[in-house]
Amino acid sequence: MTDKLLEGTECPRCPADTVTRLATSPVPGAWDVLQCTRCLYTWRTSEPARRTRRDAYPEAFKLTESDIENAIEVPAVPPLRV
Amino acid sequence: MPYDDLRSFLGTLEKEGQLLRITEEVLPEPDLAAAANATGRIGENAPALYFDNVKGFTDARIALNVHGSWANHALALGLPKHTPVKEQVEEFARRWDAFPVAPERRADAPWRENTQEGADVDLFSVLPLFRLNDGDGGFYLDKAAVVSRDPEDPDDFGKQNVGTYRIEVIGANRLAFQPVPMHDVAQHLRKAEEVGEDLPIAITLGNDPVMAIVAGMPMAYDQSEYEMAGALRGAPAPIATAPLTGFDVPWGSEVVIEGVIESRKRQIEGPFGEFTGHYSGGRRMPVIRVDRVSYRTNPVFESLYLGMPWTECDYLVGPNTCVPLLKQLRAEFPEVQAVNAMYTHGLMVIISTKKRYGGFAKAVGMRAMTTPHGLGYVAQVIVVDEDVDPFNLPQVMWAMSAKVNPKDDVVVIPNLSVLELAPAAQPAGITSKMIIDATTPVAPDVRGNFSTPAKDLSETAAWATRLQNMIAARH
Repeated sequence: MTDKLLEGTECPRCPADTVTRLATSPVPGAWDVLQCTRCLYTWRTSEPARRTRRDAYPEAFKLTESDIENAIEVPAVPPLRV
Repeated sequence: MPYDDLRSFLGTLEKEGQLLRITEEVLPEPDLAAAANATGRIGENAPALYFDNVKGFTDARIALNVHGSWANHALALGLPKHTPVKEQVEEFARRWDAFPVAPERRADAPWRENTQEGADVDLFSVLPLFRLNDGDGGFYLDKAAVVSRDPEDPDDFGKQNVGTYRIEVIGANRLAFQPVPMHDVAQHLRKAEEVGEDLPIAITLGNDPVMAIVAGMPMAYDQSEYEMAGALRGAPAPIATAPLTGFDVPWGSEVVIEGVIESRKRQIEGPFGEFTGHYSGGRRMPVIRVDRVSYRTNPVFESLYLGMPWTECDYLVGPNTCVPLLKQLRAEFPEVQAVNAMYTHGLMVIISTKKRYGGFAKAVGMRAMTTPHGLGYVAQVIVVDEDVDPFNLPQVMWAMSAKVNPKDDVVVIPNLSVLELAPAAQPAGITSKMIIDATTPVAPDVRGNFSTPAKDLSETAAWATRLQNMIAARH
């Protein structure tokens, strides 16, 4: 699918406006699968509001830019052997 | 009769009344996950679920809860569906002794029928992907058998690993991947990343039911899951050569995804509702680039729901966690009768044992904590007498209520290792561990008033059979 950003669409989780379409329903018009390019949250437009709308998204799962930047690596990248 | 693929097993489940087809249209979310979640709330012999009418899809076939009851687990092992849990575990342990059984290589794998390569790879066009839990970061592949090789020893068949890991779909040809540090694939990845190389990987979906069991089983680094599958099946496991990586993959898979874990790269992943009944995530994890997808015509997408236990995951990894612990304990302590390690992959275990002398039961409990699996699990051990069935929880509760003097029989050891996902650990990866000795003290441990136990009457077993026959004859 295209990497083109969808204008006016906000990520329910982080809440960047850098959202792209990953997939669209084989039955035309049923749903799209969208993804936030910053936090990688992925959702289907037909899901309940608690998964698709910023104002209904659970507080416990919201992410901030610093959450993403400061996330630890698991497993840590090992030192290069020279 | 062993099953060579998922489809033949689904056929048996249907014939045995253990597969339910949902033909009315459902929503991909939240219906698929909610239905699979509900199988764990309707009693012990819930069926597998099969969906083929999912809103927005024209060609979806989704199997859920395939291993999600004791009846289905018994059928997966080729046992009668009413086989009691304890007997399933004993039969599993008996078959284990046939390990290793060499696999059988076949040429005509059905997943060779269709291929996507390079820029044409689009996982969304092959798999009807969907979300499981509200807080999940995306759509997951959570029941795959993932194959990787030791980059320093790529021709060693035993070191080739087959395991189940959580995999998040983050693009048409991209996946995020969680190798838990104590798992074999994490060792493969570390060796590749130390020299700056990508790690080739093959992800197989929709496998025969024994393949799913061995992929989730705690085995030694150089033991082959295929050779264990052969032992459990009672026949060689059919394998085939994956076209891109050359890895050995199950012959009967519905879908084979090949690619590489990109060296030294990490991206945000999760969260994902885990088998502990809690989410984990918000960490940066390795990513996979998919270069080739091979799949059967009309592939069946197999997935499992996991969350607050019990779910399919608990049935899938219950017996396969009991048996390695039983084998390792018995190797040194033949007095051990049975091990029930079915709670949260063995975070808590119940062991029945004879007592060699006073204090012996506590030693058995400590040994369970120091087995290879115990280093990451076994935070609580309940030890019961040899005549208490550790799979019969009312009996276990009786032993705890009648045999335990808490001051002397509860032992807590601080600051031991546990997997990082364990929610009660503090800090992550460190926990205290506890032994509850619910056995009857024996000399020289002379505590308590246990000299006159009331045992079942010697005629009771015969009467039990007589009553069961009379009840059966009424129908």
